[in-house]
Amino acid sequence: MTSSATFRRFAFAYGTAFAVLYVVALKLDLALFTVYPAQSVVLLGTHHSRDVVDPAMSFLAPAMYWYGWTASAALGAFVFGLLGALLPGRGARWIWSGWLWVTPLAAMSACVYLTMPWFRL
Amino acid sequence: MATILLIIYGLVAVALLGALTHQTLATWAPGRSGSFFSRFRCVPPASFANAVVILYVIAALLGAIVYLYFRVDIRPSLERGGHWPALGFFDIKEHFISIGAALLPAYWVCWRRPRTDEPYRLRAALTAILAFIVWWGFLTGHVVNNIMGFGS
Repeated sequence: MTSSATFRRFAFAYGTAFAVLYVVALKLDLALFTVYPAQSVVLLGTHHSRDVVDPAMSFLAPAMYWYGWTASAALGAFVFGLLGALLPGRGARWIWSGWLWVTPLAAMSACVYLTMPWFRL
Repeated sequence: MATILLIIYGLVAVALLGALTHQTLATWAPGRSGSFFSRFRCVPPASFANAVVILYVIAALLGAIVYLYFRVDIRPSLERGGHWPALGFFDIKEHFISIGAALLPAYWVCWRRPRTDEPYRLRAALTAILAFIVWWGFLTGHVVNNIMGFGS
């Protein structure tokens, strides 16, 4: 019962925090690592190929940030999840459980907003 | 290899789509035996939770692998062809998939370890969000896949 309640608090905190942190990672371009699939190279942190080679040649080394953004948000959310799990059960009941679905919806809207430049090209 | 993975990915996605659609409709508009559409909504929604979690994780992992091929072989062609809205929809799909994956532990807890004082609408909302994400991902992936063809 106790472990179930602890996992519940972890899961609720993790899901909510991830949604927020993913938007932050996306907006600030905070990828834990950058993947260069054509070269099979993974670099720690956010790297832009256009920063080191001519922008016209950047297509030779396409970079992928989605994995890094997800990892950044997952790492941060894991910390929040642990903090949530440590909350006393009575204290956690004061937190509105609706944040668990409101926050992802808001984060999804923010992601759509941050992707809008694609539709203006 | 990429084609085989894509086919498996598609099959897993169809199974996930079916499970989540069943569960969402049974949660929001439970039916009684009768017509085909009523029977479709008659299923016990909690029994789908494990399958949804497992299928979502498998689909996300397969998608993450296939995405590598997409980035190198397909996306440059789409960029050259000026398919910017399609790429935008695809980016939204990847964001949604990540957010949905993070909701899986809470979704599972809500369905498999429900608390008596927990509002039913919480698990209903989580299920609807996941269903929306999976439908979005499926349709977007399908459209992007069919724009240029995969592996051509």
